Amino acid sequence: MSFAPGSVLWLLRHELRLAWYNASGGKDAGGKRGMGRLALGLMLLGWAVLHVGAWVVVDQLAGTPGDDPRILLAITALLAVATTFMLSSSIKASVLVMFERSDLDLLLSSPLPSRSIFTVRLAGVSAGTAALYLGLLAPFAHAGLLQGQWRWLGIYPGVIALAVLCSCAAMLLTLGLVRLLGARRTRVVAQVIGALAGALLVIGSQLHALLSKESQGRVRELFARAMLQVEETDHPLWLPARAMLGEPLPVALLAAFALVAFMLTARGTHRFFARGLQLAASAAPPTVARGAALRHRFGRSLFGAVVVKEWRLIVRDPQLLSQVLLQLLFLLPLFFVIFQRTDIQVQAIGAGLAVLCSSLTGALAWIALSAEDAPDLLLVSPASQAMLRRAKLAAAVMPVLALVALPLLWLIVRAPYAGLVACFVVCGAVVGAGLVVFWCGRPGVRSNFKGRGKGGFMMNMLELFNSLSWGALGWFLAAAVLGPLSNIGIVAILAGGLFAIVAPGTAWLLRQRRV
Amino acid sequence: MDDTLPALRLAGLRKHFGRPAVDGLDLSVRRGEFYALLGPNGAGKTTTLRLVTGLLAPDAGSVDVLGIDLAKAPAAAKAKMAYLPDEPMLYGKLKPFEYLEFVAGLWGVRAEDAEPRARELLDWLDLSQHAHELTEGFSRGMKQKLALAGALIHAPELLILDEPLTGLDAAAARQVKDLLLAHVANGGTVILTTHILEVAERLAQRIGIIRAGRLIAEGTLDELRARTQGGSLEDVFLQLTSTP
Repeated sequence: MSFAPGSVLWLLRHELRLAWYNASGGKDAGGKRGMGRLALGLMLLGWAVLHVGAWVVVDQLAGTPGDDPRILLAITALLAVATTFMLSSSIKASVLVMFERSDLDLLLSSPLPSRSIFTVRLAGVSAGTAALYLGLLAPFAHAGLLQGQWRWLGIYPGVIALAVLCSCAAMLLTLGLVRLLGARRTRVVAQVIGALAGALLVIGSQLHALLSKESQGRVRELFARAMLQVEETDHPLWLPARAMLGEPLPVALLAAFALVAFMLTARGTHRFFARGLQLAASAAPPTVARGAALRHRFGRSLFGAVVVKEWRLIVRDPQLLSQVLLQLLFLLPLFFVIFQRTDIQVQAIGAGLAVLCSSLTGALAWIALSAEDAPDLLLVSPASQAMLRRAKLAAAVMPVLALVALPLLWLIVRAPYAGLVACFVVCGAVVGAGLVVFWCGRPGVRSNFKGRGKGGFMMNMLELFNSLSWGALGWFLAAAVLGPLSNIGIVAILAGGLFAIVAPGTAWLLRQRRV
Repeated sequence: MDDTLPALRLAGLRKHFGRPAVDGLDLSVRRGEFYALLGPNGAGKTTTLRLVTGLLAPDAGSVDVLGIDLAKAPAAAKAKMAYLPDEPMLYGKLKPFEYLEFVAGLWGVRAEDAEPRARELLDWLDLSQHAHELTEGFSRGMKQKLALAGALIHAPELLILDEPLTGLDAAAARQVKDLLLAHVANGGTVILTTHILEVAERLAQRIGIIRAGRLIAEGTLDELRARTQGGSLEDVFLQLTSTP
């Protein structure tokens, strides 16, 4: 095994180092390393606690036979969830490798063979994907080892094999998209697919709740029939679960399958990988048809000019827009749960909308206020900086209020008092979220939208606090107008109201001094 | 307004970043003058320009733009000047006209003035044919030219440029130089920093050389030559900046 410069292992070490920097947050704008000693210490502490939990679980399952269909079903279900998330993170990692890393030109212009580069990239994606899940599941393997239950060691090869398979699928999908859609669209589409893959199972699990009682019965019947067909424990469906439980043959089969997939992907697609990168680098800029009229209007007020500019920048950035909207997708399960209970719908709609709108406003406000592309241009202009920031805040708030206007109107028609309460809490949540970012948002770059939390822990906490406070306030206020309220409800309203003021109030106290 | 007032006057300007970046700088640039500010790397040129444009606050000293104290009336001073840094301040997701529309909005330019001027500038800089494209796809030169158009959209009296010709091809550099000369010919003032001494030699009426945040020499090219018995501006520059 050689780590000589230019060797595959040397390149792999470089790849893993970059993956670690990326995972640990790299450096912030001030050049400070993303993950400090405190964070690392907390992570290790959490890992130790996980080991304690794993010890208890492994101890309790000591006598359970490995071929128990219930255990196999539970592990298979767990693996299905993990696989969708693995696929999601693999797709995101392959997009990063293909489009966002700036070292590939250097590597491809070096005498290193492109196959080695691609193999190492694929290995890097696999390692990055496996690392998180090993972090979560390895404590079970360690607990098993200490308790003499060797079968739990199967977690290591099982997770690595699944991560490799997901990484191969993700890379092939990304390369396929480049061929099909071109490099520019692939970046956006792959990111959306990646996020959807992560959310799909969560949403899918809730869809069942939306079905009628009859449909639910039919689904259960179909599931039971399918289970009868696979109840034999040697059915291929159980292979990954049996591998996780350390059965030698399934472990060997899964590992061999992953190895073959890795080699075929690396060998068969490295040329296309290089070509895909060239396509990505030389992607033609998007243009509008030459005949199309140019829409611009000089002479807008300062406020109007800023608002229109912010909207244009957001609407024209599908990658950013998809990230903003996809975070709302993760809130949908909440609504699925709420809509199952007709008795709490009116309360829940107002509260849910408040949470949803607060989250959306926070995201848009961060983009407009904190992720300004040309801050110096604004600073050298004679425009009032306070006015500019107010216009940016308005640019973030207005679309959210426009978006929510129709559902609120529907609610007012259906239940006037509860509808008015919903209007109040939604407006409060939107303004509160906007003000938190207005006062506490730290400068960032748009491309780092997903990582914006790393730069502003306090802003994120206050945003969350704002959402939950207004959500709770909406719930209990609506309950109050719909019927008599218990003492707990009254206390909840008072507490919700107080906290709803505390969030922007704290942001004001912590507000940043600006030039 | 008093026409005899200098376009820019710096008095005792200081800025420290751990060490002095600008160290008691006194400088005066006349109206209608093309002034080049030269200096070796780290001499404090960019910091000086950022202090002049209000991007940095000085530790001491004053900046007067056309007789207006930048510290006391920043908006009035900024309204009269424009700044073009070495990295163009653009929005990748805007098209050229939209960018100019936004900049015109920042400076409060009326539509009847801004629109024809935007067309004229884009025509002059050969960007009209790219009016349908987002600026993120522009080359470095095109971005620099668009940023220059943005700087000129409000017809500033004082134009401040930091390395405006870096990365431009010969044709683009010529267009930019012509535009700057036209600005001066129309009564405007240009202050630029550059590492391309030939540009300063050919365009500037007066040249200031700074080192370690201080003005060490100033004058016309002939005056500087006479002072150092040098030949070309390069000889003069090297002689002045290498003297301890």
